[in-house]
Amino acid sequence: MRRAEWPLGYEALRRVEHNLALARELGAEIVVTHDNDVAAALVRVALQNNATQIVVGKSRNPRWFDLLRGGNLVDRLLRIAGSIDIYLVPAERAAERPTTWIDWRPAEASPAREYAEVFGVLGALTIASWFIVPHSGYLSVGLFFLLAIIVLSLRLGPGPVFVAGVASALTWNFLFIPPLFTFAIARFEDGLMFVTYFVVALISGQLTARVRAQERNERMREDRATALFHLTQALSAARTLDEAVFAALRQADTYFGAKTALLLDDGNGSALMPHFAGSFSVTDKERGVADWAWRNRKKAGRFTDTLPSAEGHHVPLVREDTAIGVLILRMPPEATLSLSQRDLAESFAAQLAQLVEREQLRAVGEREKLLAESDKLHRTLLDGVSHELKTPLAVLSAAVENLKGADEATRADLADEIRTATRRLNRLVNNLLDQTRLESGALRPRLDWCDGHDLINAAIDGVSESLIGHPFETNIPKDLPLFRADAALMEQVIANLLLNAALHTPSGTEIFLAAGVDRQKSRIYFTVADRGPGLPATMRERLYQKFQRGDAAKAGGLGLGLSIIRGFVTAQGGDVVAGENPGGGAVLTVYLPFKAHGDVPNE
Amino acid sequence: MSAAKLTVLVIDDEVQILRLLRITLEAAGMNVIEAETGKIGLEEAARCQPDAVVMDLGLPDIGGLEVLKQLREWSKVPVLVLTVLAAERDKVAALDAGADDYLTKPFGSAELTARLRAILRRVPGENEPSVVTFGDIEMDLAARIVRRGGAEVRLTAKEYAMLRLLVVHRGKVVTHGQMLRELWGPKAEENTHYLRVHMTHIRQKLEAEPHKPRHLRTESGIGYRLVEE
Repeated sequence: MRRAEWPLGYEALRRVEHNLALARELGAEIVVTHDNDVAAALVRVALQNNATQIVVGKSRNPRWFDLLRGGNLVDRLLRIAGSIDIYLVPAERAAERPTTWIDWRPAEASPAREYAEVFGVLGALTIASWFIVPHSGYLSVGLFFLLAIIVLSLRLGPGPVFVAGVASALTWNFLFIPPLFTFAIARFEDGLMFVTYFVVALISGQLTARVRAQERNERMREDRATALFHLTQALSAARTLDEAVFAALRQADTYFGAKTALLLDDGNGSALMPHFAGSFSVTDKERGVADWAWRNRKKAGRFTDTLPSAEGHHVPLVREDTAIGVLILRMPPEATLSLSQRDLAESFAAQLAQLVEREQLRAVGEREKLLAESDKLHRTLLDGVSHELKTPLAVLSAAVENLKGADEATRADLADEIRTATRRLNRLVNNLLDQTRLESGALRPRLDWCDGHDLINAAIDGVSESLIGHPFETNIPKDLPLFRADAALMEQVIANLLLNAALHTPSGTEIFLAAGVDRQKSRIYFTVADRGPGLPATMRERLYQKFQRGDAAKAGGLGLGLSIIRGFVTAQGGDVVAGENPGGGAVLTVYLPFKAHGDVPNE
Repeated sequence: MSAAKLTVLVIDDEVQILRLLRITLEAAGMNVIEAETGKIGLEEAARCQPDAVVMDLGLPDIGGLEVLKQLREWSKVPVLVLTVLAAERDKVAALDAGADDYLTKPFGSAELTARLRAILRRVPGENEPSVVTFGDIEMDLAARIVRRGGAEVRLTAKEYAMLRLLVVHRGKVVTHGQMLRELWGPKAEENTHYLRVHMTHIRQKLEAEPHKPRHLRTESGIGYRLVEE
């Protein structure tokens, strides 16, 4: 259904609203447009929307009315419709329509002020002409009047201009055209002049008014297009739903001169939750109205038939069969909502609905991806943990079984096995606990002045048994300065780096530990290099993820080592960099911010 | 020390740990009294007057730290604290509350008995020998002289004071806080770099390999310990 806008009274507006709502319910698309030629507007919209048929009601206007407007709507439609089919249906009873006067009067009814201006100007001009007429003759007075009419028509509505045309013609005739002080005209030329004057005054007045109306309509169309353009622009610029809603609501604030709020479905369709971007807080009463609009997928509140006493105009955000939220416009008490503004409000709501739905779909997708991911992680973790825990436990129980009745030499061997197994178990449990500590956010590094030599010694002590079988070399400057770090965390970081190198390289390959200060970049570094298989580029990206182990990694370890190193280091404001050792193997370097300590009082 | 059999009170809520500690300590020639809660532990400590206490920090009724504080109100008995907690500040809190040393679970039995012997050796201030020897270092506390391999080593006043503190508490850990309070006063507690710098100097003067110290050991994040060997 296509409908052009008529300037309507309140009653008529409500009926149009009602009809439009019905049409919408039946699945119609509503297009609102502005033009002062209904036929032209209809054809334009029809062409824009690729319509092939136009259905119109039969005109009930009197014949003279149609003539005044350049033929009735159907005639004009037929003239300009081209290949579009026109269907004519009889209109319902005339009582359905308000007075025709309101209908053809333009949207902005001329207030009394404009009529006063007309009579003021004409009065002044008449008095001036009374003094000029002896010098110029009465014909030029007619030209003065005509000039005044055209000037007035630039400022006033067609009603006052029409009145001005008639009044000026009569005044001219009565006061200036001989015989004076009668409406009679003596000479034929004067009569001709008077009739021409009358027609020219009327036509020029109406023409100017029409041009102005057209211009106004263009402006309204443009405003609406601009509003929607700005909205889509704001929506596409926003990166998150919240940002988009915020932008959209601020736009709505401006275009409707209103305070706006958005209520959104809480996700499971049981209640509406206000969005924080709203510019007013929704009262319980308004909540009730919004709830109705939401459940019935119909507009409600002010300017509608449903709960019109409400403060806000409630527009549901409808996507397909469901409403996913409600847009509330709360306008000042004296404000009105024109049909085009209603349409704009609906467009806003539709855009918002689309946006919200898109975001919701994206969120659902993301959640599913996350679930799948965590499911995978869960399985990896379970597999890994059960394997890692059970291996040393199996060793322990077997060794303990064999202890009884074993000879002295075997006992010593078994004791060694037990020691190795418990160490492995302990390491695993510690790693799991550290990872948990990192993830729960319970890790609060306590930065303190640390001696690099102390840290490295302690770390090496902790992993010395794992380093057996690897030629191990260190290169630490004797004057390595103190630096701020959490000593316990850093000790563990260095121990984990060494352990990582020891566990993931073949026995007999070298391990190298270096430390130093990069004073230019004010950072201190600890580097562990090995001669193992190295870190393939593909591995490097996921290196610090939990439960990632080198593809060629030996059995043992859960792949938590690097993730913990990175967690501990970043918690202290540092960074971990993985690289290739020239000549084969991997290099892992830990950087920490470095600043020299203050003076130490000697005594 | 070996004349009379020493009595050790063990407070731990884990039965298996209690049993293991009993086996270990009795094998080392000590008497063991067991307590499963902090409350019973405090009663036993008052009743039996043990020579040392080994206690877990995570007790079910009153927390280990609280037991320690209450015990310290009336007793100077050496206390060795067992903990599963990795957080250094808990260890420091226990040491500051009056524990003489700590051990992190899991621990080896050799380590346990060594630590226990260290804290049992002597209660500070009692029968203090005036000359203490560790490695090739000899410290004469009465004459305020330190010798290494027979030759006198010049230490600054602060270095001497720091070394003395560790020597008096030899075998036990001395926290950063304790050292800073003792040497620089209560306002210096944040300035741990004072300790680091002075310790570097002391090690350079006394240790054969200053960067791999044998005697003047660092306890990461907690303090220092003098190991005699």
